[in-house]
Amino acid sequence: MDTNKRFLVGVYDDDDEVLAAVKSVRASGIKVHDVYTPFPVHGLDKAIGHPRTRIPVAAFMFGALGLTCMFLLTLYTMALDWPMNIGGKDFYALPDFIPVMFEFTVLFTAFGMVFTFFISNGLWWGVKPVIFDLRATDDKFVVAIDTGANRKTEAEIEKALRDTGATEVNIKEVVEEAA
Amino acid sequence: MAEHNHHFDPAEMEEWYDFTSSSKRKLIIGMLAGLAILLIGAFMVSKGIGIGIEHAHEHAGHGHEGHEHGLPGWAKRVVANLWMNAEFFTGISVIGMFFVCIQYLSWAGWSSILKRVPEAFPAFLPISGGILIILYFAFGQELFHWRHEGVMDPESEHYDAIIAGKSWYLNNAFFIVRTVLYIGLWYGLWVVLRNLSKQEDAVGGTEWWYKMKNLARVFILVFAVTSSTSAWDWAMSIDTHWFSTMFGWYHFASWHVTGLAVTTLAVISLKEKGYLRWVNENHLHDLGKFMFAFSIFWTYVWFAQFLLIYYANMPEETIYFRERFSGYGGIYKAPFFINLLLGFLFPFLWFMTRDAKRNQTFLKVGASVIIIGHYFDFYQMMMPGLVGANAGFGLIEWGTTLFFASAFIYVISAQLTKASIVAKNHPMLEEAVHHDI
Amino acid sequence: MSHVSAVVRPPLVTGGKSYHDITEDVCRQVEGKPTASWKIVFGISSVVLFLGTCSVFWTWWDGLGNWGLNKTVGWAWDITNFVWWVGIGHAGTLISAILLLFRQKWRTSVNRAAEAMTIFAVICAASFILMHAGRAWLAYWCIPFPNTFGSLWVNFNSPLIWDVFAISTYFSVSCLFWYCGLIPDLATIRDRAKSKVSKFIYGLLSMGWNGNTKTWFRYEYVSLILAGISTPLVLSVHTIVSFDFATSVIPGWHTTIFPPYFVAGAIFSGFAMVNNLLLIVRWTFKLQDYITIEHIETMNKIITVTGSIVGIAYITEFFIAAYSGVEYEQYAFINRAFGPYWWAYWAMMTCNVVTPQLFWIQSIRRSIMWTFALSVVVNIGMWFERFVIIVTSLHRDYIPSSWAMFSPTIIDIGDYVFTFGLFFFLFLLFAKYLPVINMAEVKAVMKSSSERFPYKVKPGKSTGEKVTE
Repeated sequence: MDTNKRFLVGVYDDDDEVLAAVKSVRASGIKVHDVYTPFPVHGLDKAIGHPRTRIPVAAFMFGALGLTCMFLLTLYTMALDWPMNIGGKDFYALPDFIPVMFEFTVLFTAFGMVFTFFISNGLWWGVKPVIFDLRATDDKFVVAIDTGANRKTEAEIEKALRDTGATEVNIKEVVEEAA
Repeated sequence: MAEHNHHFDPAEMEEWYDFTSSSKRKLIIGMLAGLAILLIGAFMVSKGIGIGIEHAHEHAGHGHEGHEHGLPGWAKRVVANLWMNAEFFTGISVIGMFFVCIQYLSWAGWSSILKRVPEAFPAFLPISGGILIILYFAFGQELFHWRHEGVMDPESEHYDAIIAGKSWYLNNAFFIVRTVLYIGLWYGLWVVLRNLSKQEDAVGGTEWWYKMKNLARVFILVFAVTSSTSAWDWAMSIDTHWFSTMFGWYHFASWHVTGLAVTTLAVISLKEKGYLRWVNENHLHDLGKFMFAFSIFWTYVWFAQFLLIYYANMPEETIYFRERFSGYGGIYKAPFFINLLLGFLFPFLWFMTRDAKRNQTFLKVGASVIIIGHYFDFYQMMMPGLVGANAGFGLIEWGTTLFFASAFIYVISAQLTKASIVAKNHPMLEEAVHHDI
Repeated sequence: MSHVSAVVRPPLVTGGKSYHDITEDVCRQVEGKPTASWKIVFGISSVVLFLGTCSVFWTWWDGLGNWGLNKTVGWAWDITNFVWWVGIGHAGTLISAILLLFRQKWRTSVNRAAEAMTIFAVICAASFILMHAGRAWLAYWCIPFPNTFGSLWVNFNSPLIWDVFAISTYFSVSCLFWYCGLIPDLATIRDRAKSKVSKFIYGLLSMGWNGNTKTWFRYEYVSLILAGISTPLVLSVHTIVSFDFATSVIPGWHTTIFPPYFVAGAIFSGFAMVNNLLLIVRWTFKLQDYITIEHIETMNKIITVTGSIVGIAYITEFFIAAYSGVEYEQYAFINRAFGPYWWAYWAMMTCNVVTPQLFWIQSIRRSIMWTFALSVVVNIGMWFERFVIIVTSLHRDYIPSSWAMFSPTIIDIGDYVFTFGLFFFLFLLFAKYLPVINMAEVKAVMKSSSERFPYKVKPGKSTGEKVTE
């Protein structure tokens, strides 16, 4: 079953303004659904109350995996399965394999981390995004507030948005497909 | 729209370091104790009593490249330690100048708040450089294979054709000229920079910033050449037969990361004494990133040099690593690997997370480990060629290092009192105060 | 982010641009019809690409015998061109990774085009790997898998295999980095698109990006870590390319300084190519307010620094050859400078070490014509550097009866021309259909670094009112 959600959308012109606005709107007890900006606004994540990301941990794990994979591959192919005397070195000539181990570490870290990021943030080819205002990817800073999730009336929320510098406040209904 | 307006007043930034008489006393005691330990250690080694790791007796008779000259083993070891430490601390001092110049050339803002700390380092150059020159005059023949009796003389039984072929570069006069030139140029340019920096404090305005930037250009040009040539002279020519095109940059990378670690330690210890109140975890974070990144950079040049020599396996090159791996009964294996562990593996893992680079205790531990790791880098660079089988790690090493470290801290502290610890009229200072990453 | 900016810093975005102006200025050529000049240049590069493709086809059809190689000089233009292109392909990731770590704000205007250039240059380089393999359809033999003759694996001790891993990792990670940077800008174009086709294509490519806070926040983290791992990656690639030579025992090739010196040379040539392309892009697309003289001057400074590093490396090699006392090393370097290929050596020295020093003069550094001309000169010099290293070191064998010279055939030249066609073909497509400037990143530095928002700090004495946080 589909449900409709009703949002009040405050549109701001400036990044410093929206940062201050989010802080003060949240301080006045209004729950902010999310803020959409054309570029990352430093401090907005803290203002909106997001926890720290664990992406670096994922990156480290993928890196370790890549290193291990190449270590095992070189070990198996060069020392165990078909050892060859190359330049009189040990079969497992560790210094020779460090370049490829490094490359695999980087490869796994990069792809593992970026695809973790894509999946955990719902980014994928063909995803239809929820867009509250088309100008949020141009020059507007858009604060979306779910009226259903807030006790305050729409008029109160609109006032809070306008008082903090919103140049427009629009209403947007979003159809959410039931999970 | 401003969230809050911060009132910025350069006059309030001024901070004067108080070099207390109790610190002075402690450091002088440190120097004297270092000398005493050095002398006791030398005496004991000469009498055959070992405290610490001593190798002389097990491997006596395997002298440096078959030559036995002049001084007895214990005395050689004292001279070698003095040379190595003087070289190591010369590096730390000149990296202070290098760091400041790079900050100017790259328009760095964040570091303007702490630049006075590395700016004080080159004050030690006349002392460490002077020791280098004195040691060269007094013990040149002990230190350098190419100074040995007769190696350049075709008539002599010690004649060495390869070394003789280097006489156009490795000869007494040219070497002295070069060494004096390095120390003189580095120190002289620093004196000019320091004066400009003090004038900026007194007068204000942006013109000093531009002047110092121009001076930084000159220094970097000079240092680009002399950082390599000094490494060839002071370190590579010890193993006179051996050569590596990378050596200058590898040696520089080791100096550089050590200098960054010393800077970090100095900044944190000043902060702990209540100075540098505008330096916060954001600035420390940047220093931490520098130590992390340049530890990796050092590893990169180290590995590139090692791999190429290992891979091609040409006798005239491989001998260098052979000596360190298995030469003289394998006594250099430990410092060789300690260097790698403390110079690469430890800082790489220690400084990987963001929190580690923002925590003073973590930074202090990491910086100290880096300094120790690179101490062993210089140890394994120089000792095999300087003392060969007579090496060890005991009172002589502890004493020499204690002496140099105390002297360095003394001179730097004294220098810090000569100007405000914060360059109050630096045009980028306000950027640094607002630094937030 | 603190917007405080010292007075000595010149603005990076001029002309009083607003956030919306950036969107308009950058999206204009993506949304408009191709201009006549674009069509002409694209037509020319298509023709060049076609002619070059014929040459490559003939190389593969007839075999490598139609190159000018001989028994002594077994590597010549192929590897020279390969190293040259890979070197050029270092600037993009350097700008986006290392300069991100060093917080160089000027990089935001130039990184997109530089990264694109990087990717295309690596493709051109890879084409020489395939070509010089002779039978390109067997290139998959480089992948470690047990073959039908028993479990004979690729030799991981070989620098050429390291190269396969390094170049393919570099290529794929660079593409990933570039694509991640593009996503927010693609969403901008999607949200402005009028036609159904554009909406669909840019919608698909932008992966449902809507600029919400959590995604931005993680995105910044991802970019930072990508930069952190790409920095050693950039270094590793040309390092491993240099290992192709330096692990051998050929005099003139086996020298330990090769890795960092190759990297410096790569950055040097890459920045020169970025300069050339950006000067054309800023002029044809009228982006002078985003790619300002400050940007060009900064790039010229980097060219001077890296060129000087390369110069020091040349001198170091020469010095150590003399110092080493190794006769073969000494001969190799004397032969480079005064042997039959002296002209290549002195072309290299002049173009790489001498002429870039002109950039010490500020008026030359800030002159568009000089910058363009000297950047071309740098890339000529860097081509000669690889030619000197490869051909001059090989053509004098240990046995004088094997001494030989190399002269390129028309196919050698044709294959080189092919990569130029390919490079410009791809770059022009990029410039037309994708935003050439990273709009989101430029917008993010506007507060601190544009003319419009003059939150400057006065020198010396305080001016608290102008400071905004």
